[in-house]
Amino acid sequence: MNALLEQFLSESRDFLQGIGEKLMQLESDPESIPLMTELFRFVHTLKGNSGLFDFPEMTRVLHASEDLMDAVRHGRVSYSQDLTDQLLDAMDFVGILMDEIETTGRIGNSHATNSVELTKSLRELLAAASTESEAHAATPHGISDIDHPSVDQVLEEFAAVEVDFANDTTASFGEPAFELNEVVAMELYRHATGGARVFWVEYIPEPECFFKGEDPFYLSRQVPAVLWHQSLLQKDIPSLAEMDVYSSQLVFQLLTIATQEELDDIFRYVPDQIQRIEIPALAFVVPFGSEHDDTIDDEFITRTVGFINDGNLERASHSIRTMLELSAPELWSSSLLRWAQLIIELEPDNALIQCALINQLRTHEPLDLVALTQDISSKSASVDSHLPNADLPHEHDEHEAINSEASHTDATLMASFYTVLTAQKNVLSVPASPWLAGRMKSVATTLIATYRATHQVDEIEHIEHALQQALADNTSQPLLAWIDKVLDSAPELSDIQEAAPIEMPIEQSTQEVSVATEEVILDPSSKFGRRVEDTSPHFGRRAEDTTTVVSKTLKVDQEKIDRLMNLIGEMVVAKNALPYLANRAETVFGVRDLSREIKAQYAVINRVAEEMQDTIMQVRMMPVSFIFQRFPRMVRDISRKLGKEVELVLEGESTEADKNIIEALSDPLIHIVRNSLDHGLESPEVRVAAGKNATGKLLIRATQESDRVLIEIIDDGRGINPNVIKQKAYEKGLIDESALERLSDEEAVNLVFAAGFSTADVISDLSGRGVGMDVVRSAVERINGTVGIESEVGKGTRLYLSLPLSMAVTNVMIIESNEQIFGVPMDMVVETVRVPRVQLSSIKQKQTTVLRGRIVPLLSLNELLALPQEQVPNEDDEFATLVVRVHGEHVGIVVDDFRETVDIILKPMSGILGGLGGFSGAALLGDGSVLMVLNPRELI
Amino acid sequence: MAIEYKKSLAVFTEFVGVEEAENLLQWLLKNPKGKINLATCEHIHAANLQVLMAIKPLVAAWPADEDLQRWLAVLEK
Repeated sequence: MNALLEQFLSESRDFLQGIGEKLMQLESDPESIPLMTELFRFVHTLKGNSGLFDFPEMTRVLHASEDLMDAVRHGRVSYSQDLTDQLLDAMDFVGILMDEIETTGRIGNSHATNSVELTKSLRELLAAASTESEAHAATPHGISDIDHPSVDQVLEEFAAVEVDFANDTTASFGEPAFELNEVVAMELYRHATGGARVFWVEYIPEPECFFKGEDPFYLSRQVPAVLWHQSLLQKDIPSLAEMDVYSSQLVFQLLTIATQEELDDIFRYVPDQIQRIEIPALAFVVPFGSEHDDTIDDEFITRTVGFINDGNLERASHSIRTMLELSAPELWSSSLLRWAQLIIELEPDNALIQCALINQLRTHEPLDLVALTQDISSKSASVDSHLPNADLPHEHDEHEAINSEASHTDATLMASFYTVLTAQKNVLSVPASPWLAGRMKSVATTLIATYRATHQVDEIEHIEHALQQALADNTSQPLLAWIDKVLDSAPELSDIQEAAPIEMPIEQSTQEVSVATEEVILDPSSKFGRRVEDTSPHFGRRAEDTTTVVSKTLKVDQEKIDRLMNLIGEMVVAKNALPYLANRAETVFGVRDLSREIKAQYAVINRVAEEMQDTIMQVRMMPVSFIFQRFPRMVRDISRKLGKEVELVLEGESTEADKNIIEALSDPLIHIVRNSLDHGLESPEVRVAAGKNATGKLLIRATQESDRVLIEIIDDGRGINPNVIKQKAYEKGLIDESALERLSDEEAVNLVFAAGFSTADVISDLSGRGVGMDVVRSAVERINGTVGIESEVGKGTRLYLSLPLSMAVTNVMIIESNEQIFGVPMDMVVETVRVPRVQLSSIKQKQTTVLRGRIVPLLSLNELLALPQEQVPNEDDEFATLVVRVHGEHVGIVVDDFRETVDIILKPMSGILGGLGGFSGAALLGDGSVLMVLNPRELI
Repeated sequence: MAIEYKKSLAVFTEFVGVEEAENLLQWLLKNPKGKINLATCEHIHAANLQVLMAIKPLVAAWPADEDLQRWLAVLEK
């Protein structure tokens, strides 16, 4: 989980908590405007934040809540108990989503429906109020009803299907309407009776979807197992010249056997723009072809219906086959007969439909099979009034079936098994059609299901293999070959049929299927009637909610941390008093044992205190990414402005340092990066001319070196010419003539840090005002950091900042001079040496000595502090010299004596003393005395 | 280059993005008899689809991509 998401989750929980509280308060004070405003702000922020991530389900609900709150805030909707309930529900839902994100990193598909329903109920509250005030802008729009329609609605819609077929389908949206051919329709029917759920999906993208980066066409193409599809325009475009190409008028419609989950997943961003309706199998049973000159004699119809009613399906089927052979295949009646045959095969029990279909040959009236089944099953007693010949022989049939079932099961099973195979083979044999891939997949699915049902699991692998191959070659040949192989190896089909007379209902294999179909048709309320009062979603909340997720992050006021820091500082000081005490116990009171015990105790307290200090420092640590994260944007903007091409590389973003350090670093770093872009990196032409890559590289790297953070800003630009710098510095009077000769290249380059220095000839809004690098240096030095620069002409520049990890505790060395003690920060001390008087020499009236082959100027501390005393050497006539590094140079400070080093909490001086540059602060020592800490940089 | 406009033929290649829609419309308005060649096209953004559906230009070559071809069958007059 990335840091941003973590922060979002932790913040959002606070917001949810806040929203909950405010809602509770509102209950007791519903008129309070400030409460309302704050509540709105919470929801608004939360929504905005959620939009950063890929959580459409969450954003949708929050957006609806926000609209509602906005309406409440402006008095368009009055506050009510119901409203609070809805909002709390919505927030609980968001909470659930957050839990899921926290554990799994994403939101499951299962929430999409709930999200839409919640959004809808929130919108309803809003809509209810805004019907009164028409002009209300926040009225929900484009939220189409994707709830499962009621039974009546479905039936109405299917009645419409028929009409649509007859009218050659002019676009009418929101209702299932599809124009199929017989092959596809039969295939869909096979799927629907075979247990698959066929969905009709209509996707009407919102007009402004193109501006949201959506490609509805691409989305539609992603739907798997599509058996039919079409794209339409919502209305004819009146004037092409005025057509708005970026306002979507498209409608996509498709029929698919993809699962509900797959569909939900594909359309998870636009659930309000799709309609998904499950189509019952019988809706596909529509005969095609021309109805003219269709004369099927009554005798055939009566005879066939008679066979069906007697349960003699084989003879019925045979008679239909004979009739088919006699009629032209493109006729409407032939199509109807083919359907009848298919239904006899797949739904042998459904005599009602079979009869109704055959009877249609006589009436020629369009028939609503779905409605018919619905009707019959609701009042099965009055079957006869609808269908004169439909004398359903159910009981008789079943009785017989049970009697003979045992002996015939296997044979029956095998018979139906081969029937299925043959049927699938026929499906594949249809000459190449546009939906070949979908067809092959469906065939394979059917085959696998068949094999699973007959417990021949081993074969499934082969089928899958054949399918893969078929899909790869885009021909049904591999699947066909496979089916043929199986059929060839099978005993003669007629043998089986003999063994198991076909009039036996093929119970075993079709029972499940017919049950499934019945469920769809007979009990639509369970499928479609989702918005029944009781089933409206509730999201566990309120007091009974036992599994509350405890947030792992704690947000603490910085002041509290600072106070803790001060306390541990005092603790360190108090701890430091113990060695003094031990010393006194021994020397003053002469109790050596007690002294030893105190020292032992001190060791323990010391350890605990140090750990505590460490931990508290950890709390204050922040990654440098906090300041690094703004650079990509900044570099991009500036380089655009300057017409340069820059590649920014950030390294070590997780390096941590104290919050104060990080915050203090922000401005100097921006300055440096800006400088690098402006002065360092050249324009692409210059770079190419110099034989470099046109794109300049800027590397910002943070690393930790023991107790310091090192930040480097490296560019591969033109570098800094030390001679130019020297000349400029001389012109501006920053250095004298002798320095001009003396300065090394490195020293010269570091002159850019001098106050008032600028090399740019022209002042731009980026740099050149001469308040550049010296400000950087003083800012860095203020936090005890150092800054330096290295450069090679033509190759690039490396600027580095070295900073302490923490400013809280300073390690100082105590020195003695003029019978007083002073502290010197350890990070400035290079070494301590004792210089014999004989090694001192004078150059231009200044004391110097040679240390490790290097001339080191010596300064007397007493002199620096304007104390009249001479420094005191030790017995061997050696001067205690503290070598410190100041601005990259070594300087020796002569003192009287060295003492130990201590950790102190450095307190900056305030008031009048604050103006004393020579001291960086004061600290309290363990024995209660005050230690003044020197600032050698200012002192020298 | 997702759409290459020739004298009276617009050749679609690979993925034709949303930004092409405006130009496509203008070109089709200017060249009412212009044909389109989709042979090497793999996908067109919905905005382009909409333009094609509104104008229904003659298709000189259908996409090799069968799925796309099926979806674009609506362009057949």
